[in-house]
Amino acid sequence: MLVKLAWRNLWRQKRRTLLTSLSLALALFLSLFMRSMQEGSYQYNIDNSARFSTGLIQLQHPEFAQSQSIEDLLPQTEHFISLASALPHVSYRLPRIESFALASAGERSKGVMVIGVLPEREEQYSGIASKLVAGEFIATNDKSVLVGEGLAQALSLGVGDEIVLYGQGYRGQTAAGLYRIKGILHFPLAGLDKQLVYMPLSLAQTLYSTGEQVTTWVLHSDELSLIPAIKAELQTLYGAEVNVRDWQQLAPEMAQQITMDKAGGVFMMYLLYGIVGFALFATILMMTLERQREFGVMLATGLLRRKLLLLIAIESSFISVLGVIIGLAVSLPVIGYFYYHPIQLTGDTARMMLEMGWEPIMPMLISVRLVAEQVFIVLTLMSVCLLYPLWRAYHLTLVAALKGDNNGH
Amino acid sequence: MSIEIRQLSKVYNPESDFPVHAVKALDLSIKQGEFVAVMGPSGSGKTTLLNMIGGIDSPTSGAVCIDDNDICLLDDKALIAFRRDHVGFIFQDYSLLPVLTALENVEFVMQLQGHSEQVCRQRATELLNQVGLTDQLHKVPAKLSGGQQQRVAVARALAPRPRFVMADEPTANLDAKSTSELLDIMQQLNEKEGTTFIFSTHDQRVIKRAKRVIVFDDGQLVEDKQQ
Repeated sequence: MLVKLAWRNLWRQKRRTLLTSLSLALALFLSLFMRSMQEGSYQYNIDNSARFSTGLIQLQHPEFAQSQSIEDLLPQTEHFISLASALPHVSYRLPRIESFALASAGERSKGVMVIGVLPEREEQYSGIASKLVAGEFIATNDKSVLVGEGLAQALSLGVGDEIVLYGQGYRGQTAAGLYRIKGILHFPLAGLDKQLVYMPLSLAQTLYSTGEQVTTWVLHSDELSLIPAIKAELQTLYGAEVNVRDWQQLAPEMAQQITMDKAGGVFMMYLLYGIVGFALFATILMMTLERQREFGVMLATGLLRRKLLLLIAIESSFISVLGVIIGLAVSLPVIGYFYYHPIQLTGDTARMMLEMGWEPIMPMLISVRLVAEQVFIVLTLMSVCLLYPLWRAYHLTLVAALKGDNNGH
Repeated sequence: MSIEIRQLSKVYNPESDFPVHAVKALDLSIKQGEFVAVMGPSGSGKTTLLNMIGGIDSPTSGAVCIDDNDICLLDDKALIAFRRDHVGFIFQDYSLLPVLTALENVEFVMQLQGHSEQVCRQRATELLNQVGLTDQLHKVPAKLSGGQQQRVAVARALAPRPRFVMADEPTANLDAKSTSELLDIMQQLNEKEGTTFIFSTHDQRVIKRAKRVIVFDDGQLVEDKQQ
């Protein structure tokens, strides 16, 4: 009976109930849309950035993070990587040599970062060949390299020209080699574009005399949310012999940028809910204040106070649930549409994002967690808004309420 | 179930410079099955007295004993249970729940007692038939006339089989015909079920029908006569 009573009470003031539910629905829609876009962008950009640079997880020698030295290596063997391979959510395992060298051509020279990769697997992972602006992509047995467009310009090089790399190899050996440029890559991040040299892994191992060793094993997972768990599991499996680092440690600037951006979004979301919260509070309070006499009659005829509170709570829940249903009914199709048709950014915004190394699109994330988060916020908001009206109803003085005294206290 | 009122007083704003003595050291006894009218001018303390007998208001001093149990000593929860199980209320403005039909309004108070849906439905229908609302069971109060609404209120008051019914000026908003019909119904129920009816009123039509009339003025019992 209480549920029936609550449901019918809602429709005594149809317009008020609908307006309150719609304001909740609007807040939920805007928040969910904004958060889905934020999280979608983060996920996309993290994945994108990871594929073109650090990967989501790296296995490194415990000293490598600090030293960045070619002396701190890991084995490039199936036996070594088999522990990571056994984990179900690890989708890529890419051995890399990452070190520094001095590049020179003619009269010019520049410090560069040399990355030795398995070209076919790296292409499969990152589609890096799509960044080629000139020449061809390298093959496993090539003795040639790819360079960033910025670097090529700095050294006045083109496809077919030769570049000298000079540095320190494993165990103090000299690393020196002359390589033909097979292709030129363009990276959105200027820093990378001006210093990257890509070469086949075997060629890098020869250059640095590392033998069958690598500086890093890059690992990937298609499920970004599982990264912390995978990282922890890998650390347990490999122990102290290996340092497992995730994308947040590998790209701290990006992690920080995302954290700040997310904080801004969350602040806006709570601001929005705060405004809507006042509307909800006013409605619930009105629903209780204008019915003091009715509550008095119910108490006089034997309704327990806790059941009266329950009645008010059910009525408020109906409004909130209605708001959630309308909000989700509008949000999900819209988010679904933009999930498949992400917003393409243009102009200065696009340029700015490209400079940050991010693709100029606003992809959406469809996530049960985000939906649950919004529903939880709405229900929490309702609970908070209920506190004072419930307190008033609980402390209702029967005689005053029956006299129709609005205060009822 | 008899009602014994001993030295009952109610003072509003006792701490203020102008305390209002609504009821002054009242002694009164009402037996099971009586049909009592409490009359007096506005502000004489009739409603306050009824509220204290019905467990809605608490006295400043004195006792309201129902079968020798002082209800003034009960806590809020026990008082609610007392009202639910032993007292029926009829209000001047009917005070039906506007979103429930006549039938549901009557069922509601029985459901508070924990009766099954079937029992509630049966008794509510029976009572509404008795008060002549057989064709109006599924109408909400707004679709009923004042007299019909007050009949629903009577049915609601009687639904939980209370030992006494407190009716605060039940005919104040009714025309002569509706008043007469309502009094007929209440008299029949009083005689048939032995329910005690206590009215506060200054309606002469009600006073004429009452078996006992208590005249109240300035918080004091002025006259108590059997008719």
